[in-house]
Amino acid sequence: MKIAVAYKWAPNPQDAAVGADGTVDWGRAKASVSEYDPVAAELGRRLADATGAELVGISVGGPDVASPMARKSALSRGFDRAVVVADPALEGAGPTLTATVLAEVVKHVGDVDLVLTGDSSQDVGAQLVPAILAGALGWPALANVTAISGGAGDLVVERLQDSGSQVLHASGPVVLAAATDAVVPRVPGMKDILAAGKRPVEVLSLADVTPAAPVAATAVVATARPALAARKQHVIDGSDPVAAAAELVAALRADNVL
Amino acid sequence: MSSTYILVAGDARIDALVELAQGTSTTAVVVGTRSVAEAVAASGVDAVTWLGEPGDAPVEAYSSTVATLVAAAQPDVVLASSRPADRVLAGAAAAVLGAPAFTQVSAVTVVADGVELTRSVFGGIAQETDRVSGPAVVVVDGGAVTTGGSAAIAEVTASAIPTLTVTENRPAERAVVDLGRAQRIVSAGRGVKAKDDLGLVESLAAAIGAETACSRPLAEGLGWYTHDRYVGVTGQQVSPELYLAVGISGQLQHTVGARGARTVVAINSDKDAPFFAEADYCVVGDLYQVVPALTAALS
Repeated sequence: MKIAVAYKWAPNPQDAAVGADGTVDWGRAKASVSEYDPVAAELGRRLADATGAELVGISVGGPDVASPMARKSALSRGFDRAVVVADPALEGAGPTLTATVLAEVVKHVGDVDLVLTGDSSQDVGAQLVPAILAGALGWPALANVTAISGGAGDLVVERLQDSGSQVLHASGPVVLAAATDAVVPRVPGMKDILAAGKRPVEVLSLADVTPAAPVAATAVVATARPALAARKQHVIDGSDPVAAAAELVAALRADNVL
Repeated sequence: MSSTYILVAGDARIDALVELAQGTSTTAVVVGTRSVAEAVAASGVDAVTWLGEPGDAPVEAYSSTVATLVAAAQPDVVLASSRPADRVLAGAAAAVLGAPAFTQVSAVTVVADGVELTRSVFGGIAQETDRVSGPAVVVVDGGAVTTGGSAAIAEVTASAIPTLTVTENRPAERAVVDLGRAQRIVSAGRGVKAKDDLGLVESLAAAIGAETACSRPLAEGLGWYTHDRYVGVTGQQVSPELYLAVGISGQLQHTVGARGARTVVAINSDKDAPFFAEADYCVVGDLYQVVPALTAALS
C-alpha cells in the first residue's frame, strides 16, 4: 500500500501586513508546514506503520517548497520520502490549480491507494483542495475524517457529520481530509529532524506534471481593506465592575439590544 | 441569459445561494432524498435535477455524476454551500470545468466571457475583486431553508462511485447548535484561564438567553467546547443581534466570524486588544470581576 499526504508550505496570514489599499504584504510572514497538515501526516504515519505502507509527502508551490528548510520541516513529520513541484508559476496558486497539479503528482508517484490532507490551509483556508484533487483523479473524497483503519482496498473510515459520526467502507482509492483534531501530531524532535535530512526528495517542475486541462486564469482587478461595520468603540472603564456593568446594561437597553 | 448551477448535497439550506444567483437562470442538482429535492424545488430555483434516492452510498459518491452533469451544461457559475459534502461536489465540478474556485464571496456577476467576484481573502484580512476568464466555482455559507418557489423536479439516472459505502451511522451524543441563527451569543476566549471558570460565561449567557460560543483555541487546542461552537474563519460565521466577547483578544481570524453581529461588546483586560477596534462597547477590565457583575445586573 502507498499513502500520499498532501501538505502546503505556506505563510500565516496572522503575520502578514495589510496596506491601506488592501494589498497583502507577506514580507514578515515566515512559511511553515500549514498548521493542520501535521494532523494528516500523523494519521498517515500511524496507518503506514500498522500496514507496512510507504508514506509519501507531496506538495506543490513556488520555489520555496523545495528549500532545505521546507524539506526538513516536512519530512520530520514522518514521511518516508517526498515529491514536490517547485515552480514560480505555482506561487500563490488557487485551489483548483493547486489540486489539479497535486493530482498529477499522485499519478506520478503511482499506485497510490489513499491521499490524506489536512482540514484547510493556513493562508487560503478554502477547504477545497481535497475535493478538487479527488475530482481530478475521479475518486471520491470525504472531509472531517477522524479515524482510518484497514488496508489498501479495504479501508474503514470514520467521519464527523452534524448528525453524529458515520463509518464508511472504501474498497477503492479515496481522498480523505482529516478533521482538525483527528489525532494530536507528534512534535518532531532533533532525531526526526536529523533523519529528515537524509530522506529523498524528488523535485519536479510544472512542465513534468502539467494537468491535461488548463485552469482558467484569474486576474485581480481590485483590492481593499476588509469592509468593517462602523462600530461605536465606546470605552467603559471596568475598574469598578458594578458601575461598568450598570453602564453597559443601560447602553444596551437604550440600543434596544436587550 | 447567464446560467448558474447550484449543487446540493443532502441539505436544502440554500437561500444564500439562491440570492447570490439572482438574475441568472438557476438549476439545482440535488443529491439526497426526494424530500430534500422537494425542499430545494420550493426555494426559488428555476429547475431541479434530482439524482434519485442515494441508498447506502454517501452523497460524496455521486461527485463524478454531478461533475458530468455540470460539464455537459457548462454554466457560467457553479454555487455550493460550504458544508463538507457540498464542497466535495463543488470540487468535482471545479476539476471537470478547469474552473477556479473561491470561498468567502460576497458578490458574483457574470460579465462578458467570464465572471467577476468580490471576496474576502486570507482569513478576512483583505478584500479582493477578481475576474475569471471562464466559469467560476463559488462556495459560501448556504444559509437557511426558504420557500415560495415551485420548480419542476427532473429525476435522472445516477450511478454512485461503487467503492464507497456507508456501513454505520452513530447519532450525535448531543444536539448540534446552530449558532448561525442565534440572536444573542456570549463567546469565550483565552482570557478564561481554566475550564472550571467557563461557569462565569455560561451564567452570563443564561441571564440573557444567549448561546455560548468560543474562539478557536478553546475548541481546538483545549477542547473545552465542541467545534460547532467555535466562531471564526474556519468555524461558524454568525450574525446575532448581540455578540458579547469575553476575554477574546480579537485576531482577524476570529472577528471575521462575528462581523455580521449588530452590536458587539468586548470585555478584555488589555486596553489595546484588537477586538476593541471592532466593538461597540469596549469594557476594559478583569473579566473575572466584570462578568459576574454583569450577570448580577441582568438577573
